[in-house]
Amino acid sequence: MGYAAARGGLDAIAAAEDLVRDARDLADSPWLGLDQLIDRQRLAVDRVMGEGGLWDPRLAARALQQAEGDTVEASHLLRSYRATLPRFSYSHPVDMDDAKVLRRIVPAFRNPPGPQLLGRTTDYTGRLLDRTDDDLARERAEKRVMESTFDADGDVVSNATDTAGSASSASVGLGDRRHRRLLEVLRDMDLLVDRRRTDDPKPVDITRAAVRPPALRSAVLATMARAETGALVNLWYRNILGPDGYIHEVTLGEVRHAELPVTVTHPHTGGPVDIGVVRATEVEAIEDLDGADEDRTRFDAGYGLCFGHNEKKAIAMANLDIACHRDGGGGNGGSELEQSILMTTDGLDASGFLEHLKLPHYVTFRSMVDRKMAMRAAGRSDTAVDGAPVPADPREGDCA
Amino acid sequence: MSATLSESIDRLDAAAESRLDSLLESPGDVGILDEHAKRELRRAILTAVCVPGYQVPFGSREMPVARGWGSGGLQITLALVGADDVVKVIDQGDDEGVNAVNLRRLVTETTGATETTEVDEATVVQTRHRIPEDELDEHQTLVLQVPVPEPLRGVERNIAELGRMHAEADYSRMWVSLYEDKVRNGVITKSTGYPCLVGGRYVIATTPIPRWDVPRLHHAPFLSLFGAGRERKIYAIPPDTDVEPLTFDDVPFEVERTAGARCALCGATEAYLIEVPPSVGGAEDGRWICSDTSWCRRRRATDGDA
Repeated sequence: MGYAAARGGLDAIAAAEDLVRDARDLADSPWLGLDQLIDRQRLAVDRVMGEGGLWDPRLAARALQQAEGDTVEASHLLRSYRATLPRFSYSHPVDMDDAKVLRRIVPAFRNPPGPQLLGRTTDYTGRLLDRTDDDLARERAEKRVMESTFDADGDVVSNATDTAGSASSASVGLGDRRHRRLLEVLRDMDLLVDRRRTDDPKPVDITRAAVRPPALRSAVLATMARAETGALVNLWYRNILGPDGYIHEVTLGEVRHAELPVTVTHPHTGGPVDIGVVRATEVEAIEDLDGADEDRTRFDAGYGLCFGHNEKKAIAMANLDIACHRDGGGGNGGSELEQSILMTTDGLDASGFLEHLKLPHYVTFRSMVDRKMAMRAAGRSDTAVDGAPVPADPREGDCA
Repeated sequence: MSATLSESIDRLDAAAESRLDSLLESPGDVGILDEHAKRELRRAILTAVCVPGYQVPFGSREMPVARGWGSGGLQITLALVGADDVVKVIDQGDDEGVNAVNLRRLVTETTGATETTEVDEATVVQTRHRIPEDELDEHQTLVLQVPVPEPLRGVERNIAELGRMHAEADYSRMWVSLYEDKVRNGVITKSTGYPCLVGGRYVIATTPIPRWDVPRLHHAPFLSLFGAGRERKIYAIPPDTDVEPLTFDDVPFEVERTAGARCALCGATEAYLIEVPPSVGGAEDGRWICSDTSWCRRRRATDGDA
């Protein structure tokens, strides 16, 4: 039949699936193993866990493998897997000050309380495409580790040079210590608007509730924590350079990458029990309040926290958190920015809807053609009466 | 109406029971929704049935199909069907549409329900963009996949304000937009998903079904459930409910019609027909065919009145 492209049937679907599977399973090169993905594509795995809302590096790596590297598709696989599992309990709240810090920088002060701990980052390295031979690279790395005072994890192996001005050294052995936050310092200096609440509202579980504006701040934060990274970065940048804007640039108070324990109540003993460790990126952003009705003598702060090592996302989140608050969102009555965050940043929602445009739409399209013809017929009769047709308004369209 | 409404609720309860029973019998059964999610869905469905046309929010789960590909309809169907159900799935009226095939496969493989292409055999019909040409009866449930559940989005973007408008039945701006449309264009140009007042109270988006299908929702004997997975909303038209397309007393509601159009295969004129573009190069070039393929096929096979 002439419209076969819109039809398929089971055979065609099976054939399409086979093309994917054959290309994948019969490829000349060996499979990219899960360990390789976890070790060498660490940031992609972290991103999939964050956007998928599930901490499990092996499952995330498997999803990336199956999705041929498409992070949104991999997040989808992870989330729909999670939807098959019943939820038995919620974990206990974590005090982020108890987290083991792997990296921590404080751009707002040269000498903040606690260390500037650069950790594992390429932030300060030239973006040069490294074409070093793999074996040579390994040889050099081994030599470097031998001579270093630090081992590959950044832990100290010798005290020989631990004297260098610690303000910018890749400092060590500090991971287990509690570091005083910049916000605490600002609070001591009476430079921070105090928005801490005395009540303890239950956080919104966005996987169970259909969150709509106006929403509580916890719902906005949770939505951003699971949002697509690129969507958050874009929303942030749009608010810097786009036609509308709520944000002016903030100063970062804390950027941390840390390990934190997951604790649940034991179903039999009723006592707390640690069931694992997750990594998260945490950002506190200091906003220089400049609104006419705002307290110009103080700063305010935004907060970002997401799974894995994903600083772009956590920074965008912290910026958008404070911007959303200033705009009247996040429990403050609702705002346009809040609606943008809640409704447009989810990777699965946006990508799924975009890709659905590939589905057949010939029933709806035929109906649209019918209206075009009806408008012409009406226009002809109008012309006959008035001498000129009324122009059609092209703005009304069907989105389906 | 109350008799059929309670029948519908009984049917939903029975579906829940049958599903739980089948789970007890085969605990190894791997579904794509856990039982807690199904319970939540059933509660949302019951609320929707009790408040016709009201968009009930629910904690939409991630399905193994992308959002926008029928994830809302799929969740409703999975919450309804058990092993003794018979499911028909169509896309654009076609059982063989690629997405219909995929969804049908997911439903039958994970629930044990059987599949059919014949309307009269089905207990549940899941559909995208069409209502089958055959009249469904009071024992059948129609599940519609909804991309955009909000009928007022064209006149208001703010979600909090939209909530207020529905709560207060403030549909004035919708009426104004229809009036302006008529004045500017000579006709009301809304093509599919035509806004309808349900039970005299809530305005709904009739998914993007064509206007051809809209009158068939009015006082329909069957229950219609609308699922919008991406937007996390479920709404319903219970049996025997008023469904009135928004239009003016002196502007009759128009369905899609092309003078002289007649199905090239079965000869139908009173069916939703789709056009085969003139340049395709097949036998039906420049002609019309039924969008409901199983209806068309049965007409050709049985009565030869083409």
